[in-house]
Amino acid sequence: MTSNISLRLLAIGYHPEIMQVLHRLMNSHSGWKGDIATSLEEATSLITNNTYDGILLAVGVTPEDETFIRTQVEITAPDTKIIRHYGGGSGLLENEIRTTFENLTTK
Amino acid sequence: MTRYIFHKEDSRHHEFNEWLDSKKTFSFADYYNPKRMSFGALRVFNDDTVQATKGFGRHPHDNMEIISIPLEGSLIHKDNLGNEKVVKKGEIQLMSTGSGVFHSEYNHEQDKATRFLQIWIYPAQLNNAPAYSQVAINEAKSQHQFSTIVAPEEGPHTARIQQDAWLSIGHFGAGETFRYDIRKKDNGAYVYLISGNIEIDGHNLSAGDALGISDTHSFSGTIKSQDTTILITDVPMNLEK
Repeated sequence: MTSNISLRLLAIGYHPEIMQVLHRLMNSHSGWKGDIATSLEEATSLITNNTYDGILLAVGVTPEDETFIRTQVEITAPDTKIIRHYGGGSGLLENEIRTTFENLTTK
Repeated sequence: MTRYIFHKEDSRHHEFNEWLDSKKTFSFADYYNPKRMSFGALRVFNDDTVQATKGFGRHPHDNMEIISIPLEGSLIHKDNLGNEKVVKKGEIQLMSTGSGVFHSEYNHEQDKATRFLQIWIYPAQLNNAPAYSQVAINEAKSQHQFSTIVAPEEGPHTARIQQDAWLSIGHFGAGETFRYDIRKKDNGAYVYLISGNIEIDGHNLSAGDALGISDTHSFSGTIKSQDTTILITDVPMNLEK
């Protein structure tokens, strides 16, 4: 269960209001600590200066942006999981995180 | 070789509180079952009953095709695109949430519950402009045959979805048979029985049961009882997300 461990997450997306909701949802979840970035520049800075377990690619992030982010992550923190987030809120978020980390945390 | 996934009604995740009774086919919100994640591009299939005047407050969505089909009662929807609509039984609503939408969704009935299907399908492309459509089901055309209610092309009784997906509904009587041709290569069909009883390739379905069928071009069924209503969701099975 992810609720028993600590996950450091970064969500990147370009819709400020939706990102505020994601920020609140991530940090209201026991065991998660979430940051948000609403631009590629902000994301680059956060990725460079922090270590994340998972990076959520959220609203507005294009396939080209994704390639750029993946390249950066491979250089700075190759163990970080990249997760595409759909839906904009609570419906799929927990499932996306658990699908990515459940096997790791139950080992 | 044809593949089948049978979801019995009582195998759905059931949770309820004082205003919402929700049966979830696939993992959603707090419900997590790795074996119940999706049927191809069909990611969410919830059968929700909302008590009078209650509902979901303002919340966001993005990059999902969200379809609501009232089975009893009506919903009132408000969104930041300027839509304020009542969606009642016999109609469907489709939100292409794309680059982001905020909306609220309440039971519009003052004295009775509203039951509706909430269906989420992954879009073909990310971050498109949001769109809203609402259409009336062509009830005459859906008698004894399937009538398309969602398709990639808009029509007078067809909501436009931004995916190679089709939803069709049909009302049948006992003893009738049907054949369904899957709309596109590599698509599969998720057959949900709203009411009645049917048999498809040896699988007997009662109300609330569903059968996912893939790796085939078509399938046939036999109607086992009066007042049978079938909803078919025809979606890509192989997604590059």
